Amino acid sequence: LNPEVIPEDPVAAEDPGGRASFGTMSWIPFKIGQPKKQIVPKTVERDFEREYGKLQQLEEQTRRLQKDMKKSTDADLAMSKSAVKISLDLLSNPLCEQDQDFLNMVTALDTAMKRMDAFNQEKVNQIQKTVIEPLKKFGSVFPSLNMAVKRREQALQDYRRLQAKVEKYEEKEKTGPVLAKLHQAREELRPVRDDFEAKNKQLLDEMPRFYHSRLDYFQPSFEALIRAQVGYYSEMQKIFGDLTQQLDQPGNPDEQRERENEARLSELRALSIVAD
Amino acid sequence: MAEHGTDEPSSRTGSPNGEGRASGDRLSLHQRLAVRELIDTELSYLHLLRLCASDIRSRLQQLPQGDLDVLFSNIDDVIEVNSRFLHDLQETTSREEEQVYLIGNLFLEFQEELERVYRVYCASYDQALLLVETYRKEPELQREIQSVIEAVVPQAGPSGLSFLLVIPLQRITKYPLLLQKILENTVPDASAYPVLQRAVSALQDVNTNINEYKRRKEVASKYARVEQLTLRERLARLNTHTLSKKTTRLSQLLKQEAGLVPRTEDKEFDDLEERFQWVSLCVTEMKNNVAVYLDNLEAFLRFRPQECDLDIAGGPVPEYCSLMRELQLQAFPRFKQRLEGLVWQPLCTLVKALAGPQNLVRKRLDKLLDFERVEEKLLEVGSVTYEEQEARHTYQALNSLLVAELPQLNRLAVRWLGQILCTFVGLQRDLAQQVLQRAEGSLAQLPHYHLSEPAFWKLVEDTLGQNGHQLRSFQENFEKVLPPPTAQPLLPGAERQVQALLSRYGPEKLYQVTSNVSGAGTMDLTLLRGQVVALLQNKDTKGNSSRWLVDTGGHRGYAPAGKLELYHVISGQEEIKGQEGPHQDSHHLAPEPIPAPVPSLPTVTQAVAVYPFVARSSHEVSLQAGQLVTVLEAQDKKGNPEWSLVEVNEQKGYVPSSFLARAPSPAPWGWSLPS
Repeated sequence: LNPEVIPEDPVAAEDPGGRASFGTMSWIPFKIGQPKKQIVPKTVERDFEREYGKLQQLEEQTRRLQKDMKKSTDADLAMSKSAVKISLDLLSNPLCEQDQDFLNMVTALDTAMKRMDAFNQEKVNQIQKTVIEPLKKFGSVFPSLNMAVKRREQALQDYRRLQAKVEKYEEKEKTGPVLAKLHQAREELRPVRDDFEAKNKQLLDEMPRFYHSRLDYFQPSFEALIRAQVGYYSEMQKIFGDLTQQLDQPGNPDEQRERENEARLSELRALSIVAD
Repeated sequence: MAEHGTDEPSSRTGSPNGEGRASGDRLSLHQRLAVRELIDTELSYLHLLRLCASDIRSRLQQLPQGDLDVLFSNIDDVIEVNSRFLHDLQETTSREEEQVYLIGNLFLEFQEELERVYRVYCASYDQALLLVETYRKEPELQREIQSVIEAVVPQAGPSGLSFLLVIPLQRITKYPLLLQKILENTVPDASAYPVLQRAVSALQDVNTNINEYKRRKEVASKYARVEQLTLRERLARLNTHTLSKKTTRLSQLLKQEAGLVPRTEDKEFDDLEERFQWVSLCVTEMKNNVAVYLDNLEAFLRFRPQECDLDIAGGPVPEYCSLMRELQLQAFPRFKQRLEGLVWQPLCTLVKALAGPQNLVRKRLDKLLDFERVEEKLLEVGSVTYEEQEARHTYQALNSLLVAELPQLNRLAVRWLGQILCTFVGLQRDLAQQVLQRAEGSLAQLPHYHLSEPAFWKLVEDTLGQNGHQLRSFQENFEKVLPPPTAQPLLPGAERQVQALLSRYGPEKLYQVTSNVSGAGTMDLTLLRGQVVALLQNKDTKGNSSRWLVDTGGHRGYAPAGKLELYHVISGQEEIKGQEGPHQDSHHLAPEPIPAPVPSLPTVTQAVAVYPFVARSSHEVSLQAGQLVTVLEAQDKKGNPEWSLVEVNEQKGYVPSSFLARAPSPAPWGWSLPS
């Protein structure tokens, strides 16, 4: 049964009054087409599409941002953990028991790494709370919005269909039954039209407001993000700065460091047991 | 000095013998000649060396620098030592009486230095010779080299380069001989005598040590080469000889393990080896951990949340995005690059450098097993073959080599590792510095940067809470946009069905289909939007609660729960009570009101009269086509849906249901109009 096709006249076979069924009004299936009158002005439609389009973009960007942010913080955590492993393995090497200087250096390094990892964890927790969670919440509004838009669309379809029906009757010869049907059709149309208008208006009001709310919503999160990073790197600078002081290693320029490495290698190569 | 030199033998020995005096003179003459020879040859030797090092070397431009380094080795160091030596030698000439004594002393002074420089030169001499051989094979090259040499040192003769290069070797071996000659011509009770003796043996030691050093180097270079052999090559290497070697070693090892043979315990070596293994482990672990760290860093740089576009022009959002973009373009890649160059690469190199010693340690163990077996045989048989003797020597050479050099290796490796670690720390600090430099600029742009940390985080928490509320209200507003009321008028048949369902199941069980359903399985229904069904079960036989069993009035089957909404029947039914039953007419279909309680009829709808109808009794009411009526009950007192109780023109009465066309409920149910 094609939902578009509505039998126009029922077969009046069940006449309770026992009267002879008058007139075999056969089924006249007609396709409900588009109404002739442009029921929704083009400007309104355009406005709607523009506003909804912006929100669809925002939805996509929000989802992407959430995903990337999560992956980035996960990688950040992994990096920190692998740094801790460096010092942990060194600390567990028996060399530490034999060589006091080595032990001192490795212990200092291990302490620094563990502290940095703790700070990193704290930073990630902050980001989770102030950025990722809010992002999720923001994104959760979109399904409701999309459903509302779909329903408006449905209402529009119904509106169009009934409008076409009314127009159809209006074009016919004005007999009694036709008038009755016309009246009935108009009666059907009215609530549907009101429904659509209401939905349309509501969405046209709410959508821009929601879009605009992203400003209030995202700015605090990103400010928090910057501050969290600055806090973390401040600690990092302090801890590793202190450590380099402690290890009595000056901040050499890279060329000098490279030369040092070359020198160490030469020393090793000078030994006969080291293969060239 | 108590006694003078040997040139006054008569005053010393007091020998009246003229012969003795003559022999004494001859002795002193020979001594003087010998000393003269020493000094003169030293002079010409040095001169030749200098010619080689400067003139000849600089003119052999066609040879690569690497070759020149091998050929001439540390000739500059040799020249340096020997020139000082010569200078001091020449100075002794003025000190006539004491000259020989001084010469002896001089040798003792220079002993260490001479050994140090000459052993390096001698050790690389064999390789230099190999190079000379290869040159000889290329006639063109050979001619060029010859011409250079002939121009500078004509007396070099046809063997040219090899003639020149062997000179230092000849010299160092000559010293003991020259000294010996002087000694022979020295009176035994001269004061210089013991000094000279010591000098001779010292220079002999020097030569022995140089040979030993050379031998060690040869052994080391034979075994230290870490050959990257393929499996095929390894198999090719295997022959009966190596196989038998391996089996003998294995059996020796097994004998050791079984306690049949005492293991040669060398505590000193074992401690060294243990430390070496720890150092190796340390370095290898560090390298692996740094590799993982670099991988994670790479992954971190892959994700770019700052690339999102939220369509926000100013404020923290674009500030953050530009900050992160810059950092990912500069600070972080630079950090990674420095890490790779100053931490990762050196670690790899260090690991590789330790591979050679690892190999040697392993070889030493093999040789040790050989050594022990030979020792056993020696005990049993009393003699060993030449090869077995060689095996002993090889082991001893390897062992002494390792014992000599492992401590240094360990120390150097640990030192380098320490430096690498410090570099790692320094790089982290530099990264933090760079990030902060850039970020402080961004920080100053933030609206709340003046707030303290605790105050700021409190503010963020509060703001986010408020925003959460606002979001919720948005969500609610959107959710209030409910599905449109069904615009499809219910067919009279459908209307009846609805009534039937209603009376059978009650209003709470009625659901309306919100969008078309196409049934897939045999038990799944195909339904139209607007259709009304009654709920039988809110889950299927498997317990799936999104699949409901419903009754359409005609069929039963499954429908998706998501497409069913409670059929909102408008309350406010009006019960028609106390109406006098109409007279029984001859019309068998005349409505018969029964005073029995009538089930509540929840539907009160508008309808339009499609056909005119003339009332035939007081229970009925007349209709005009197109007239609007209010349907009070969609069935008569008996429940017969063929009649409907309507109100029209302030009159109430029954009319045939089929004469009416339903209009939908006028009040669209659902959302509240926005205020």
